[in-house]
Amino acid sequence: MAKLLVVDDEPRTAELTAELLRRAGYVVEVAISGTEALERVRLNSPDLMLLDYEMPDMEAPEVLDTLRAGADRLAFPVIILTGARHAPGDQVVGIDHGATDYIAKGTDRQVLLARVRGALRDRASETRVIVAGHLRIDQARGQATLGERALKLERRPLQMLQLLASRPGEVVGRAELLERVWGTNYAGFEHSVEQAAHQIRRALKDPAWIETVRGIGYKFVVQP
Amino acid sequence: MELATSSSSSPELAAALHRLRSTLARLKAELELAQSDNTSPAVDHLLADLGDAFSHLRGVEVAAFGLVSILVVDDDERLAELTARGLRRLGYEAEATDALREIRSSELVVFDLSLAAGLDEGARTALTAARPIVVTGATDLGSRAQAARLGASDYLVKPVELGDLVAAINRRMAEGSR
Repeated sequence: MAKLLVVDDEPRTAELTAELLRRAGYVVEVAISGTEALERVRLNSPDLMLLDYEMPDMEAPEVLDTLRAGADRLAFPVIILTGARHAPGDQVVGIDHGATDYIAKGTDRQVLLARVRGALRDRASETRVIVAGHLRIDQARGQATLGERALKLERRPLQMLQLLASRPGEVVGRAELLERVWGTNYAGFEHSVEQAAHQIRRALKDPAWIETVRGIGYKFVVQP
Repeated sequence: MELATSSSSSPELAAALHRLRSTLARLKAELELAQSDNTSPAVDHLLADLGDAFSHLRGVEVAAFGLVSILVVDDDERLAELTARGLRRLGYEAEATDALREIRSSELVVFDLSLAAGLDEGARTALTAARPIVVTGATDLGSRAQAARLGASDYLVKPVELGDLVAAINRRMAEGSR
């Protein structure tokens, strides 16, 4: 069962949230400060973190930045719990820092559990093995092979290939690729998607595997 | 002054605060009564009151900060959730569902046209009144006409880029309340 870490500077709030998640079958640890959260992650990385935005020692963006430690994506999903609601646009700050999702405190238990399930499901789908024709992708090991030949792919192109290959024949939009692979909504990253597609085609030595659907996105087409 | 609000939002804010205070007062009264009778209060009543209180708090936030709630309705649950999550990360309150539910006031609806056939008359009327942003995989004239009959404020073809959806949401918001 997935391990969750609940971080909230109010111990009772943290413990109640943890209890609610335990009753849904999760293994849950609690931290009552940003510093303690970072220490717990260092000792035992969770599968998902629920992080209070407003804490006295450090706010969520600082925790997220420290967790990323220079990497451009977090190793596990983080859902921000926030008590303050502002105008649209304020949460853009979370995109920069890599948060997966936001939940307003007081949101119904079923909604909270659904968001946790959703974030964990996306993580799980990133770790399975996909076989399509002679192509085999093992995301957990960071490897893709075509027949006996290992493909030289960087992490992002490999993730993009896996996402496309998990839905053969389906057009996957650039926005979804950006969200799922690059962890961003910003259109400014779109050239990265094109470069990744180029790298995938070159590695597969056959452009037909990845079809460009102009103005929309890309489609994986299994080749014999 | 920190507490100053724009004059246009004040009546809505006052009304929302009034509803919140009334609900909290009811909750307090139920607890005081139970305490004086030395009985346990009905948990389902308390939870219902708290649910109302959060709903009214939401009304306060809508009036004070101009918050918008988006209901993303798509029979592809995974796509609906992905879209809603993307919107939440941009600061919108967004909820995903694979079937249309009752539309709340101040809620904008993003609606997958393929679900239109399954709507009953009441749901269709409510959806049309909400002037939904219609998304569809089809581009034929029939689909456009169907969207128009649903009172669509915008018509987007799948797969929808988040930026295009946000632009449609902003256009719909600029139209004002329905």
